[in-house]
Amino acid sequence: MASLGDIVYALGQWLRSTPVNEFSLAIQKQPLSKMINSTFWATPTIQSIHILAIAATFGSVVMINLRIFQLAGQGVTMTDTVRRYLPWVWWGLAVLLLTGIGMIYSDPVREFTNPVFWTKMILILVAVAVSLWFQGSVRRNVARWELTHGGRVAIRTGAAGVICLWCLIIVCGRWIAYAPT
Amino acid sequence: MFLKALWPALEASPVGQYIQASSWAFPTIETFHVIAVVTVVGTIAVMDLRLLGVASTRWPVTSLSKDTLPWTWGAFVIAMVTGGLLFVSKATEYVVNANFQWKMILIVLAGVNMAIFHVFTWRSVHKWNSDTAVPLAGKIAGGLSLFLWILVVFFARAIGFTLDLYSQS
Repeated sequence: MASLGDIVYALGQWLRSTPVNEFSLAIQKQPLSKMINSTFWATPTIQSIHILAIAATFGSVVMINLRIFQLAGQGVTMTDTVRRYLPWVWWGLAVLLLTGIGMIYSDPVREFTNPVFWTKMILILVAVAVSLWFQGSVRRNVARWELTHGGRVAIRTGAAGVICLWCLIIVCGRWIAYAPT
Repeated sequence: MFLKALWPALEASPVGQYIQASSWAFPTIETFHVIAVVTVVGTIAVMDLRLLGVASTRWPVTSLSKDTLPWTWGAFVIAMVTGGLLFVSKATEYVVNANFQWKMILIVLAGVNMAIFHVFTWRSVHKWNSDTAVPLAGKIAGGLSLFLWILVVFFARAIGFTLDLYSQS
């Protein structure tokens, strides 16, 4: 039976046979891409900012979900909690996007021909969609997010699922560097 | 010296050998380390920003502390255990790495800053818990904590890029 590594390897081979490969190589030839790549401290600096931004986004997601689970901030309304943390989710994501583009630009082949990278992108789209829906739902009917004791299995499952989703995004983020090529 | 012998011994230990030989162990432990660190920094920043008066001003300082501190400590323990495992697998390379040394010094400084805040400044917390501005000592503690943890992340990320720079082998 094929292992997960084998599947990732095969998908990577396939991506390299598509125009994505030439596209990545073309970006790599651009002067700015070469410059970032040859500046020793550029990549670790961009990655550090990327990690700090995920700390802001993930930390805020955790705080909102702790509030949903009634494990934190019970003295404050759900609306206040969302107002406090959701902007940090979005601003963190904006910084993640910018630094992420920087990393892609400096080493496009590493990202674009990497199945782990594309898995991460799909998971991010799901996370963004869920966050947008959550933002709207809180605006429309905040009461449904106030858990009664022992109630609302769907909300509990969803909140735990969102934390798992973000953890998976971080997992993919780290494993882009370790995908078998 | 005892320490000179300790680092290679750690690497040669069964745990060190296992992580070195395995293709998945190091990245897997590293991934847990990243998730833990991100939780530590994220939750600490929530408290720091409150002390600085930048965010969460609707939350009393004591209740925000209760909300964040258990998660900060829980994640910190995971970060220490996973970090320890990563260290054991390359102990001789890490101890000579200047970025690793700075990271450890900065974590200790962050701990000292936190301890000073909780032993001294925290005593009067009931006076500035809700509506009153946080005293200067508290603001300094929050700002310093934020600054130190940001530096910790930078030095941590730099380690992986500079291992060859410092080790002779």
